[in-house]
Amino acid sequence: MAAQRTRQPTRRWRQVVRTPLGAGASLLMALVLLLALVAPMLWTDQADAVDTGNILAGPSAEHWAGTDNLGRDILFRSLVAARLSVGLALTATAIAIVLGLLLGTAPMLLGRRLGRLVTASVDIAVAFPGLLLALFFAVIFGVGARGAVLAIGIAGAPSFARLVHTLVAGVAARDYVAAARAAGVGRVRVLLRHVLPNISEPLIVNATIGAGGALLSFAGLSFLGLGVQAPQYDWGRLLFDGIGALYVNPAAALAPGLTVLLAGLAFNLFGESVAKGLGVATLGHLPERRSAGPATSGPPTIRAEEPVVAGDDEAPVLDVRDLWVSFPGADGPVQPVRGVSFAVRRGEAVGVVGESGSGKSLTALAVSRLIEEPGRVEAARLQLLGADLRTGSERAQRQLLGTSLAMVFQDPMTSFNPTRRMGGQLAEVARQHQGMTRRDAFGRAVDRLAAVRIPEARRRAGQYPHEFSGGMRQRAMIGMGLMGSPALIIADEPTTALDVTVQQQVLDLLQAIREADDVALVLISHDVTVVGEVCDRVLVMYAGRIVEDLAAADLATGAAHPYTRALVAAVPDMETDLEQPLAVVPGRPVAPGEVPAGCAYAARCPLADDRCRAEDPQLASFETPDHRVACWHAGEPIPVDGPREPAPVDPVELVEVDAP
Amino acid sequence: MSTPRPTSQSARPTGRPTAELRFEDVTVRYGSARRGHTAVDRVSLTVPPGQVVGLVGESGSGKSTLARAAVGLAPLTGGRVLLGGAPVPTRGRRRPLQMVFQDPYSSLDPRMTIGDSIAEAIPPGPSREERRAEVARLLELVHLDPDRAAVRPGLLSGGQRQRVALARALAGDPQVVIADEITSALDVSIQGAVLNLVRELQRELGLSMLFISHNLAVVRYVASHVAVMRDGVIVEEGPAARVLADPHHDYTRALLAAVPGTRTPRRTP
Amino acid sequence: MTTANSAVASTPATPTSGPQAGPGGRLSSALTHHWVRFAVRRLARLLVSVWVLVTASFLMIHLIPGDPVRGAMGPTAPAELVAARREALGLDDPLWVQYWDYLRGLATGDLGTSLISQLPVADVVAQRLPATVSLAALAFLAAVTVAVPLGVTMGVLTRRGRGRRTELAFTTSSVVLATVPDFLLGVGLVYVFGVQLGWLPVAGNVGPEAYLLPVLSLAVGPAAILARIIRVEMVTVLEADYVRTARAKRLPAPRVYLGHALPNALTAALTLGGLILGAMVASTVLVENVFAWPGLGSTIVSSILNKDYPVVQAIVLVYGVGVLLVNTTVDVVLALLDPRSMIRED
Ligand SMILES: Nc1ncnc2c1ncn2[C@@H]1O[C@H](COP(=O)(O)OP(=O)(O)OP(=O)(O)O)[C@@H](O)[C@H]1O
Ligand code: SF4
Ligand SMILES: [Mg+2]
Repeated sequence: MAAQRTRQPTRRWRQVVRTPLGAGASLLMALVLLLALVAPMLWTDQADAVDTGNILAGPSAEHWAGTDNLGRDILFRSLVAARLSVGLALTATAIAIVLGLLLGTAPMLLGRRLGRLVTASVDIAVAFPGLLLALFFAVIFGVGARGAVLAIGIAGAPSFARLVHTLVAGVAARDYVAAARAAGVGRVRVLLRHVLPNISEPLIVNATIGAGGALLSFAGLSFLGLGVQAPQYDWGRLLFDGIGALYVNPAAALAPGLTVLLAGLAFNLFGESVAKGLGVATLGHLPERRSAGPATSGPPTIRAEEPVVAGDDEAPVLDVRDLWVSFPGADGPVQPVRGVSFAVRRGEAVGVVGESGSGKSLTALAVSRLIEEPGRVEAARLQLLGADLRTGSERAQRQLLGTSLAMVFQDPMTSFNPTRRMGGQLAEVARQHQGMTRRDAFGRAVDRLAAVRIPEARRRAGQYPHEFSGGMRQRAMIGMGLMGSPALIIADEPTTALDVTVQQQVLDLLQAIREADDVALVLISHDVTVVGEVCDRVLVMYAGRIVEDLAAADLATGAAHPYTRALVAAVPDMETDLEQPLAVVPGRPVAPGEVPAGCAYAARCPLADDRCRAEDPQLASFETPDHRVACWHAGEPIPVDGPREPAPVDPVELVEVDAP
Repeated sequence: MSTPRPTSQSARPTGRPTAELRFEDVTVRYGSARRGHTAVDRVSLTVPPGQVVGLVGESGSGKSTLARAAVGLAPLTGGRVLLGGAPVPTRGRRRPLQMVFQDPYSSLDPRMTIGDSIAEAIPPGPSREERRAEVARLLELVHLDPDRAAVRPGLLSGGQRQRVALARALAGDPQVVIADEITSALDVSIQGAVLNLVRELQRELGLSMLFISHNLAVVRYVASHVAVMRDGVIVEEGPAARVLADPHHDYTRALLAAVPGTRTPRRTP
Repeated sequence: MTTANSAVASTPATPTSGPQAGPGGRLSSALTHHWVRFAVRRLARLLVSVWVLVTASFLMIHLIPGDPVRGAMGPTAPAELVAARREALGLDDPLWVQYWDYLRGLATGDLGTSLISQLPVADVVAQRLPATVSLAALAFLAAVTVAVPLGVTMGVLTRRGRGRRTELAFTTSSVVLATVPDFLLGVGLVYVFGVQLGWLPVAGNVGPEAYLLPVLSLAVGPAAILARIIRVEMVTVLEADYVRTARAKRLPAPRVYLGHALPNALTAALTLGGLILGAMVASTVLVENVFAWPGLGSTIVSSILNKDYPVVQAIVLVYGVGVLLVNTTVDVVLALLDPRSMIRED
């Protein structure tokens, strides 16, 4: 989903001008417009002065770009031509925009049937290049400036209509339009109040670029002799006249040529830099990604150093100590994962829960070495099956990770390559890491698909991902992990995108694999109940830390951290008391860039005191060695405020909040 | 049902009696007659006055289509939607049936202040001053600071946005509100607050409500009746306590069995 | 380490896997089914477009204000002559009769007669077409050959917000190159290589070196735009979940980029790229005029200026068909590369 923009419009525009490219383009643009405005007032006389003694002369001190066949000064003519050229281009663009807006919004205003007809016609027209359309209309409207304006304007309309249509459709699909319509707001009003304002920026940007295009198209038509006719002259006409004398006085063609080029560049570069500054997509341009939140308070000073697994003879499958993940932010690095330590024993199922943004996924990606530049991962220890993942040859690591670690991601719809068949995507693993032949690898892929209970595996292996249902894809993803012989499966919200009944199948499958071969599982979920059901142990994360590590069976009653307790109580289950309001975690999660001193949960914690706000509690054993909690008041009773008053008015803090 | 809790809010000023929402043989088809697909297939369902009916089912079962058909966002292929015995108006400014949408990040116009978004849904008539007062009252009703009416949704969290969306729905002075998966895009910690608010508003204002969710535990918490939908058809319907404790249909049983946490947690030996 | 799976494989593969197993049987013929539907739909669209094109070119002559024959022959031509020419062209028949005749003519390869030279238009087109086709085809090839590797490389280098400087340099220079119109570039090249250096021929199409400058002028802009689009698509695709999956499979980087990212980036780029490549066909008009290229482009301009409408009509038609053929080819390639694109159009 696109991030909602919250910066003030003026500030955002100012940012455009602040980049060197943006500043240069704006300057050039202002120059061109100024020239168009004042040049005819200043230099018309010089431009029209005939000097018969100086015909077709080359550049001289008197005539910097030489003269034409009547001895008129080329440079002044090029300057004066700015007004006609720019004026014609803007008029043509205006025609294109008006027609484009009419055609592009028609489907929304006219309703289904008529709208579809308009869209289909626009689709057909858009396939024909603008130049061809312009020639066509130039024939109809006749040779000359007026004909060319109409021709270029109408020729530009289809692509504008297509753009408007796409933008309108994008906004019209948003729920706020549906909400306005459901509230009885009329179509025209919805268009004016909701749709047009939300598409105005890309429209303006593309109109600017379109004006540059029109300027150059005009030059093209005039250059062919189909545009402006003598005695009027625009840049194209001057070029047309000059090119005949290219061998005599090249400047006669080059001067207007360069001027029109500069003007065209001014429009295009200005449009592009505005697009970049505002984060608007144009042809071949990505909207700027928002950087992650504001600054952190410098590098960490306290680092936890404590034994993680107590009294265990066998080496853990995964051993992580003091894991940090950082990304460069606008004002210094931000640390979404801050010193996470845990171990996973053979065959153990460990759940990771926490609110959105608490660092669950990044922890998973970090331990599986999937965080890319510019992200940085640091750890005091990071071992898979005893092998250090921080060092070692890239080849050996790839082999180890490729065969012993299986990953399952959240969205089965987007996690397979849509252009390749399922069987091949699985087989690739065996070919890469087990050196199998194509045929053997495919055979194994079919076998693995069958193992994850995909019926008719052989036929299914020949299909594309979009032919699989969501649940089947997630099973196939697990099957892909089983191409090797994994000792650990890391599943990041594997069932969040699935229906409950399908979720159950996937969880059962993971369970069966675990029991069959003693495979360990790290299951990330925001759903406490899922984790409680599937896992042996649960890690609760808050603001990039593990705040509690406890047995899953203790979740409901034995949790000691106030956050864990609130998380469990906030979720209704099939036994929740219907007469009581649900527990509420007040406030909002801490963004990685703004972690306070002391306990990160203090602002939302009913037990918080001065010590909490000053000192950061470390993860330490609580009551039993296997139960670890990071809280100064672990296990203390939480004050219950009598019969609940209606919740207090929630102050709307003025902080930027990004869409997830 | 439990008795409404006492509240500091005054009763609804307009005090329109709530009405019954009734779907009669509603069918919605998408696409052409030959290649199309029936999203909702002759569904009949009643939301009694002042009651909350929970509609559960998996993705693609037609829940949202039914809701959108009721407010006129999806075309009815057959059947009727009646409000207090008369067809639901899907034209004009008075809309006694209001809807709250799933995604709080897409249901508020990012360029409009939340006050304007709410005011837009107030039926025409009141003066500018009266509208402003009404917006303030509505914001207070959903526990948001009325002084913040001039804020744009970009500054709000998901839960706060969903409360604005609720306020906007109430601005239309509805007799029935349809809530379509209003908590599924929210974090669990925020979900609780929104559910509490829904129950509180429903009880205070005596609204009738169709509460759509795929989460049985959530539906159990807010609804007095439950309807189970699958492939465009309602397969089971009845009082929440009965349906959840003693399901008659196999599909309902499958859904209940799949609710996480209903099976005993596993322990490693 | 134990070899996993043995036991898992032995767990019975339950064929009736609950309500979700759903559309199993229906999927078997789905892909061929989609192909047929796609082919039918694409053909229908091509036919409609051709019909629109033919009708538009027919109507062109009738939309011109005033009498086109009088316009072509000039104000001094005797009225009888004009009337006779109108008669010969059938301009006095009812519109639908003329339309029918026009369609019948097209079907039999009769494009009418030039008002100026009195030659059959079909002969003019046949004589000029090869020069234009070879120019467009070469430029097309050159643009694609340069743009694809360049765009892919740039995409990889600037993925995930890396290489900000490289990105800025590339984006800026590609905007500049894409802005330079082909005819201006042509004029510049003529000046440098013809006038100043005298290295290369600047007119006509005799000999292979005559192709160099026209192809260059024609290909640079589209190549720049195409490379930009491919870069953007590549950057987007490299963020996709399935690329993360490919990395989680621990494939070597080249396989991730070329095997998984590139096909998807290309299919996305092709949709827009098709329009740009189609536009190249029309751009030959300007470039041919710069280089006095004996193709359709120089002919259409002189014919417009001479008001030789039958020739203009025919050449517009030929260009339009050329564009449509390029677009259709692109769609088919797209469908071959990405089977979803067939379905998406539904
Ligand atoms: N590439 C990145 N650059 C900068 N910040 C990032 C990046 N990826 C993630 N973050 C930030 O790190 C924090 C933790 O992200 P993470 O994805 O691990 O959360 P999560 O717990 O998995 O949340 P969710 O439940 O939404 O999946 C978030 O605040 C996110 O904005
Ligand atoms: S340390 Fe203090 S603020 Fe933090 S969770 Fe414990 S009691 Fe609450
Ligand atoms: Mg995550």
